[in-house]
Amino acid sequence: MKTSRLLVLALVWSFWSCQDENLLPESPVEVVPETFIPELSSSLQVGDFPQPERNPLSKEGVKLGKRLFFDPKLSANGKISCASCHLPSKAFTDGVALSKKGVSGNALHRHSSPLFNLAWHTTGLFWDGGANDLESLNFGPLTHPDEMAADLEEIVAYLIQDKTYPELFAQAFPKNPIQSATISRALSQYTRTLISQTSKYDDWKRGEATLNSLELQGYQLYQNHCSSCHQEGLFTDLDYHNNGLDLIYPDPPALEGLFLGRFRISFDSLDLGAYKTPSLRNVTLTAPYMHDGRFESLEEVLDHYQSGIQVNYSLAPQLKEGINLSPDERKALLSFLKTLQDDAFVLSHIQDSEK
Amino acid sequence: MKNIAYLFLAFVLIFSSCSEEEIPAQMTVELNFENTLNGKPLQLNSETFTLPSGEPFIAKKLKYYISNVVLTDTQSGAIYNVPNSYHLLGEDFKSTVELGMIPSANYDQITFSIGVDAEANAKTDQTGDLDPNNDMAWNWNSGYKFVVLEGEFTHKTTGERTGLVLHIGRNQNYKTVTQSLTGIRAGRAAQIQLKTVVDQLFLSPNALNASELPSTTIMGGELADKIGENYANGFITIE
Repeated sequence: MKTSRLLVLALVWSFWSCQDENLLPESPVEVVPETFIPELSSSLQVGDFPQPERNPLSKEGVKLGKRLFFDPKLSANGKISCASCHLPSKAFTDGVALSKKGVSGNALHRHSSPLFNLAWHTTGLFWDGGANDLESLNFGPLTHPDEMAADLEEIVAYLIQDKTYPELFAQAFPKNPIQSATISRALSQYTRTLISQTSKYDDWKRGEATLNSLELQGYQLYQNHCSSCHQEGLFTDLDYHNNGLDLIYPDPPALEGLFLGRFRISFDSLDLGAYKTPSLRNVTLTAPYMHDGRFESLEEVLDHYQSGIQVNYSLAPQLKEGINLSPDERKALLSFLKTLQDDAFVLSHIQDSEK
Repeated sequence: MKNIAYLFLAFVLIFSSCSEEEIPAQMTVELNFENTLNGKPLQLNSETFTLPSGEPFIAKKLKYYISNVVLTDTQSGAIYNVPNSYHLLGEDFKSTVELGMIPSANYDQITFSIGVDAEANAKTDQTGDLDPNNDMAWNWNSGYKFVVLEGEFTHKTTGERTGLVLHIGRNQNYKTVTQSLTGIRAGRAAQIQLKTVVDQLFLSPNALNASELPSTTIMGGELADKIGENYANGFITIE
């Protein structure tokens, strides 16, 4: 009896004395959600889907992200969701130049961007590319006083007490509790699944549809005049250019270089007034145009490229001569641009958002 | 039978005592930061301070990141890299970093960085002290503010209360500091006292005169980088 007690004592001592006191109990086995990669059309010309290492797509993550995207309760006044300014019916834009829909009611300084094919935007997001990825971007609109004006801690508190969210988070992110990072990751998973690749153009490229002669002429004009920046496939080169909108750029300190374009991020003088090339996909749905929505119609945009270019030091060299098109050529080009309108994409996401 | 048991106990005790000199294998270490201005402890919303360029100054906010803390025993070569080492400190905020139980050594050198490294600075969907709910992540330019000082000074020419806002970040302003430590003994709980000298943001090598700044809101560009150069040396020191 005594012997066994001593043995126990000895054993306890030997295990206790030099053990790392920080040893954690073994973590329980967790169900990790299965990841997936969306199907892609060859007409996107993207090769593959870049699955983010830290935030791979899962059905559970996308489902949660969609719920968050359409949930106005995330905002400070409970009235604004991401979808308030990113409407599925307008290829996730809002149809106004500078929205005043935010919590403060103040007009924004930038036009609401369309949301599709974002997975390939690896050269920065926002008009000036200031956000390195979607996961980092989301905190901007969530917290900006002129947008959703949310306090991240209050969002977390709201989600924790909700009836549905805790279960959805547990399924999507079993290793992490509800926190800022997982909220943003879920939103990013949803927005990465917004892939526009079912336009008439896509069908044509895959040999499943034909373009009429006007559209084909427009395609030629696009290739000759637009494709260096609006590269075929995604219809953007994902790069930043000064397209001659303004000669000079005001710089009020309170706006932290907002009117300087890409320069406020890169501090490269060639990026003054430069903004990201928007995609021409769905361009017929995303009026008004430019980073500040200054042009109401595609006609106005073409007028700008024909005769409105402001030439300064940082102007994109491709635009020095402008883009001169005859009225017939314009008609043809606009006819081709219409083939990039992806009604199936828009419809499916309108229906999906109503589920 | 009994003898065998005692023998076994003795055997176990010998091998379990960790080292010859009875030095525990681990020790606790904590870093304590004291924020100072004009050589005295900083107080927010107090009217008793001046900037190095002479203007009366009321500090409203001071927050900064230190990261990647490394303790070294240069004699034995023992090195302890603090894992996941990102620490947000500030006035009326956290002033202590607990490293917990770490391997024992006669640490005589500490290395840490002001700001967060390029990898952590690239994405803001992070947790702990890097959680963007700490008001240190930039919304429009992914990354973290490394050092934030906000307040009001009395402008020398206009005589007006003028806002001063320093939000210093960007990878080029990630600065690594190495300092000697004294008095740390292996196996004994250690408290490392550090002093954060706010004056140094304005002092050297780039003397900044608040009333002559082209903009008193500094969030990037040349002036921010000059402040980064200033905090590279003498901003956070061992007391």
